[in-house]
Amino acid sequence: MSKIIAVHSYKGGTGKTLFSVNLAAALAKAGKKVCVFDLDFRAPSLFAILKISNVEFWLNDYLNNTCEVGKTLINLSSRVPGYGKFYACLANPSTEAIRDMSSKDRKWEMRALGRLLALREALLKNQEFDYLFFDTSPGLQYSSINAIVAADYVVVATTGDRSDVDGTKRMLSELYNLFEKKTGLVLNKVLDPSMNAKRTEMQNKIKADYQVPMLGMVPCFCEVLRAEGSLIFVQDKPDHPFTKILTEMARKIENNEIE
Amino acid sequence: MNRNELSSKKPLNILEKIEESLEKLNDKIEIMIEIQKNENTNNLRSPLQLPDASLDVMTLLSMPDHLRKTAMTICRCTRATAEEIADQTKRARAVESAYLNQLVIMGYLKKERKGRKAYFFIDKESQS
Repeated sequence: MSKIIAVHSYKGGTGKTLFSVNLAAALAKAGKKVCVFDLDFRAPSLFAILKISNVEFWLNDYLNNTCEVGKTLINLSSRVPGYGKFYACLANPSTEAIRDMSSKDRKWEMRALGRLLALREALLKNQEFDYLFFDTSPGLQYSSINAIVAADYVVVATTGDRSDVDGTKRMLSELYNLFEKKTGLVLNKVLDPSMNAKRTEMQNKIKADYQVPMLGMVPCFCEVLRAEGSLIFVQDKPDHPFTKILTEMARKIENNEIE
Repeated sequence: MNRNELSSKKPLNILEKIEESLEKLNDKIEIMIEIQKNENTNNLRSPLQLPDASLDVMTLLSMPDHLRKTAMTICRCTRATAEEIADQTKRARAVESAYLNQLVIMGYLKKERKGRKAYFFIDKESQS
């Protein structure tokens, strides 16, 4: 069963953070205990999206071995009312922290991988978390590959954009395959309005094209753009089609209906 | 013995032979590891040991497939015997033993004997 889920993409702006937060929120609404980790140390964004101030400990501190992971978890369950629990663990957005994280050497990265792997015991086992979401930074870099190696399942966000397609294909065949990771593709910002009619046809084409199973297909919604990333969409707009699609994706993950 | 029995027996024999050879190979690698340990205490690096041997993800990516599987499993377990690794990779213990020993020779892992058991682990502390 997939407990640790890394959300990754080749290019930026494909919807990684949007999917991480909303998949986690959908699972929390379904009664699960979840945590979203911001692993994009070069361009942290979760603190801004979730509008959190006064953070005492960051994910950076845990990876630097200066505090326990428990101290970095921020309880946001009140934002997603229901039976579940919703936590976040943030990357430090200060320029100093970004500079520090980008100058780490291989040995530090090796230990960071060890600490990410240790979350399985510390959070899933000891603190009874159901799901951990690793929101990664795009492309091939240490923090993202560490997250992929530590995860059970990789959600790959992609758009139809030409700049993204080739690189995504290469990553699927050369990166996730090598690590033997289960992978699901989410095609984001689909423009065709008559999507429903062509859905199966399109899904088959994508499956043949990318050689991996699809987790979901998300149309381009102006409301999502208009929210400027400031909403937990599945909570704030429960009847929106975006919420329905994300809830269905979360259900697939929960029921292990991923190939 | 009829023909069917013969043809089913043959591959088994070959596999047993391979396992036997692997065990012998492992014994030899063990000796190499001991020699390497001595060289290390004399501050000599063995020619097989890589200069910057850390088991980070980029290193994992560049490894041959058979070693990567073993290396990733030890990353998850942090410390394990060849048998424990074999349990997870579903490969034979002798095979994992050979791969783990190779990783020791290359400098990625450390090996420690406790009684009859040999434990493999990533030495994170001395690699800073």
